Amino acid sequence: MTGLEVVLALAVAGLAYALARQLREFARLRRWAARSRLPDAPEARGAWGEVFNLLERHRRSAAGERRRLARLIVRTRRAAQALPYGVTTLDPALRVEWCNAAARAHLGIDPERDRGEPIANFVRQPEFIEYLQRRNPSELLRLRAAGAEARTLSVQLVAFDENAWLLLSHDVTGEERLEAMRRDFVANVSHELRTPLTVLTGFLETIGERKLEPQRVRDYLNLMRPQAERMARLIEDLLALSTLEHAPPPPEARVAVRALLERVRAEAEALSGGRHRIALEISGDADLAGAESELASAFANLVTNAVRYTPEGGEIRIAWRAARAGAEFSVEDTGIGIEPEHIPRLTERFYRVDHGRSRESGGTGLGLAIVKHALARHEAALAIESTPGRGSVFRARFPAARLLPATQKVSG
Amino acid sequence: MGATEHLSKQFEADLDATRTRVLEMGGLVEAQILAAIDAYASGDAALIERVIENDRRVNAHEVAIDGACSHIVVKRQPAASDLRLIMAVSKIVTDLERIGDEAEKIARMAKRIHEEGGGPFAQRFPAIRHAAQIAVRMLRQALDAFARLDAGPCADVVKEDAAIDDEFRSVLRSLITYMMGDPRTISTALEIVWVAKAIERIGDHAKNLAEQVIYIVRGTDVRHSPPAEVDREVAKE
Repeated sequence: MTGLEVVLALAVAGLAYALARQLREFARLRRWAARSRLPDAPEARGAWGEVFNLLERHRRSAAGERRRLARLIVRTRRAAQALPYGVTTLDPALRVEWCNAAARAHLGIDPERDRGEPIANFVRQPEFIEYLQRRNPSELLRLRAAGAEARTLSVQLVAFDENAWLLLSHDVTGEERLEAMRRDFVANVSHELRTPLTVLTGFLETIGERKLEPQRVRDYLNLMRPQAERMARLIEDLLALSTLEHAPPPPEARVAVRALLERVRAEAEALSGGRHRIALEISGDADLAGAESELASAFANLVTNAVRYTPEGGEIRIAWRAARAGAEFSVEDTGIGIEPEHIPRLTERFYRVDHGRSRESGGTGLGLAIVKHALARHEAALAIESTPGRGSVFRARFPAARLLPATQKVSG
Repeated sequence: MGATEHLSKQFEADLDATRTRVLEMGGLVEAQILAAIDAYASGDAALIERVIENDRRVNAHEVAIDGACSHIVVKRQPAASDLRLIMAVSKIVTDLERIGDEAEKIARMAKRIHEEGGGPFAQRFPAIRHAAQIAVRMLRQALDAFARLDAGPCADVVKEDAAIDDEFRSVLRSLITYMMGDPRTISTALEIVWVAKAIERIGDHAKNLAEQVIYIVRGTDVRHSPPAEVDREVAKE
């Protein structure tokens, strides 16, 4: 071998070694880059080391960015989840993509299972299907929700992104009920006032247009008086109710229950005119702290009702039982009773079980609403039990905090 | 239903569109029952007319879906689970149409009852409304199960049918008491029997629907099987 050959051989070997190293580093880079989740970049020397370091820096910043975005998505989802509105995102063909918990409760869709299915497959009310077809973002739809309890939803389809849709839903059951109550109330008051007023104007026209004998005029006036009284009573009750609703909490003055109930009983005797047996039982010596006028009106209302709805010869028992845990006022009658379906609605304004009978006996339809309010202001709840044809019991339970030791000593 | 069974995307789209149409018809029928029962309670003449009028829409759905089913059968010649779906759909549509007819019947009875002044008497039977609520719930559950092709809730629907039958008998008993006590109530009472019977029939149709969903998903025919057996079938995995 010549020296030249030795040098050449060494050079070839050196080149081959260098090439092999480069190829090995390249293969490492390739293997590293081929992994789906990049681990730390491999260590290397020289120029390869520099390349690896640069790649490592990019990897770290990309991973950081990804983490930041993932956190942002989670936060956004959580924010959407926490909204008190139902939010559902729909694709251009109105298929479910995602929804929050409120939407799930409102519309009965399951964000996992129902993804990719048309929203119309789950929310099937005809008015909703028509609403979807109109795709009118400025329009709100009132929707009777499917489900056990009757709930009303307000829904709105909003366009977002390109051609994608947001379906917002909002439970408006409470608002709706309030609106209905207000509407009914106004209608009821007008109706209740108009009926006696019609009678009055009728008589006034007759008296004004015709020449009538004085006796006839007097007869008419006698017929007119109860109508005017009825209107006055209605207005008094309305004012009483409105006062109870808006007045500050009742004063905590002593109300002597025994004396109060004796007055109530005397009124009942007068109203009954001897047609009923009326008993008053008092046990336990406690008075109430509260507003005497309100309690008197509540008790008197309950007792008057008992007299009105109990046929002649019936029995009415007024009772006041006080103990350490609380006290109970009750009125029990042997009257006509109330069908069970009416009981939950009895304290609604103008709710009447039997329209004719109630008005005939002078009721305004507001009595029990007044009772309920007056009692509630004294932390007492009204409980009603009744058997049709047998009689009813109305009870008001007062908590111990409302009781004061009685001033008068009580026997029995 | 694996997507691989389908020869084309178009076929799958046809099936999905038919299913959505059936569900739309179901939604309409459900609204018809609710409206009919409201009309029975209130005597609202406009509502009664609307229910009677809307039954034509129910019928139009039936015709259209039947057409779509024949079209799919002729053009695509579906097999296995797809064929089962198509066959079940045409039965489901028949049941839905019958439910629509029962709702219309309730509306017509409501009209008669209220025209004769039987409205207050009709309100003495809260079991009617209760039975109607059960029937609507059964229908809704069956339709939800059809939307998700999920046999799970179907066993409950089959079981609930017994609750409606109980309510029906309870209405009947109290009606008989009234009729014996006061013969003047007989004509209204008989009309109320028709309303109760219509609700009971709605429950039966809803049960059929649930059985068809089990047939689609499981391929087993559970018609005429006692509820316990349906339960076992659905629980099988």
